[in-house]
Amino acid sequence: MSCQGRLHSAAALPLFLALLIIPILAQQKGEPGAKLAPTPAPAVPGFDERVKEYIKLRERLEGKLPKLPPDSEPAKIDAHQAALAAKIKEARAGTRPGEIFSPPVAKHFREVVRGEYQGEKLKELRGKVREADTKGVPLRVNTAYPETKESIDMPPTLLLALPQLPKQLRYRFVGRNLLLVDREARLIIDYMPDAVP
Amino acid sequence: MKQLLATAISVIFLLIGGFQERAQNQKPAAAAAKVRPRLTLPNKESSVRFAVIGDTGTGGEPQNQLAETFFQYRGIFPFKFALMLGDNLYGGEDPVDYAKKFERPYQRLLDTGVKFYATLGNHDNSNQRLYKLFNMDGKEYYSFKEGDVRFLALNTNYMDPRQLKWIEDELSQSDAKWKICFFHHPPYSSGKQHGSNEELQKVLEPLFVKYGVNVVFAGHEHFYERIKPQKGIYYFISGAGGKLRPGDVRKTNLTEKSYDEDLHFMLVEVAGDEMQFQVISRTGATVDSGSMRRGMIDRSNP
Repeated sequence: MSCQGRLHSAAALPLFLALLIIPILAQQKGEPGAKLAPTPAPAVPGFDERVKEYIKLRERLEGKLPKLPPDSEPAKIDAHQAALAAKIKEARAGTRPGEIFSPPVAKHFREVVRGEYQGEKLKELRGKVREADTKGVPLRVNTAYPETKESIDMPPTLLLALPQLPKQLRYRFVGRNLLLVDREARLIIDYMPDAVP
Repeated sequence: MKQLLATAISVIFLLIGGFQERAQNQKPAAAAAKVRPRLTLPNKESSVRFAVIGDTGTGGEPQNQLAETFFQYRGIFPFKFALMLGDNLYGGEDPVDYAKKFERPYQRLLDTGVKFYATLGNHDNSNQRLYKLFNMDGKEYYSFKEGDVRFLALNTNYMDPRQLKWIEDELSQSDAKWKICFFHHPPYSSGKQHGSNEELQKVLEPLFVKYGVNVVFAGHEHFYERIKPQKGIYYFISGAGGKLRPGDVRKTNLTEKSYDEDLHFMLVEVAGDEMQFQVISRTGATVDSGSMRRGMIDRSNP
């Protein structure tokens, strides 16, 4: 074997090993560029606009209150929550159910839930909402979600299928109904019945 | 005469019953007062030392009794901070509730400078994130670093795409030797009441595996369970810091060790590539302990 040939084979061994090892490492650590976190579901016409309108109103109202720092005392947190809720209630007095969950939006949401939940999975969801400590949560717009009541964890795969909400709002199941709740003011902003089939 | 005798016997039995019941309720309190803390951890000054406690916020006597034992162990194991696994305040959340269900039980720990890092459970109002003693910095999910450990506090009440993206960003950017996540709902559980949360497994586990999360602490189930490593990750359930569901753990093929006979808290020490833990009941007894090495588990096998 010539000297050049020996050099070639000496260089080929690390290259061969690298080609062998790199895919194994990539499999263990995951592709560095490929992100796993899923993208949010597309917007739903009619729904997203009304949600944005609510947020605009809410920001205007909250802007009138003293800003609450992230290291507050319970009394200040309590007072801020009450003041914000009062302002929102006043500004939205007379709001009727279905103004955000309009009939076409509610129909779309029911279809999404039905698409995600069938068979055993649906049975589990029904059991979960039935057994949760949410009895007594009033199904009334512009009413407080009672603090003594549980907030059922929303199934992550359903949150991936529903339109993503601004951080001030939350979807919540109460029985088979789906509520839209303001997370700071703890007010029920809207609800739709029979979301869970 | 016979009637009188029967009445007297009934009264005696009732009195004995009453005494027994009272004695049982007081037993942990009396025991807590006499706790002789015994540490199985190395307790090195250079280690990251912390505590874990979940489902605490009842404000009841059992929570106070456990808090007393917790404080006594702080005397021999000077942890700097405690992870709270949610359900920090059951029922109302008025200022008096913060005092009764958190500040009073842990006052002596707070006085020694212990920081509590909270997460939100299904009984918690999101506004707790603004409470200064929960150190959440106004966020429902957040992270912090102590020594070689990156801690991620997650909100499993509402695991939306925004949070999943944040988790991925945090984990992918972290160069910490250890990555520990803590939150309320356990992905794996042998509880009769709740059991495993497959939805969370589906969205979180791929991220945990890809970015090398080592340990997960969750609450929600009112007992203790150490799960057999799943895809290279150690899962602990520690959800009996104030509420207990006796007899709720089934022994399943997930269970490495479980305990549902009394309230408990955990002490944890991370040093180099090793993490050691000790689980302590209200009476001060050690109900589980052990150690684990980072990266010693094949991630491909459940």
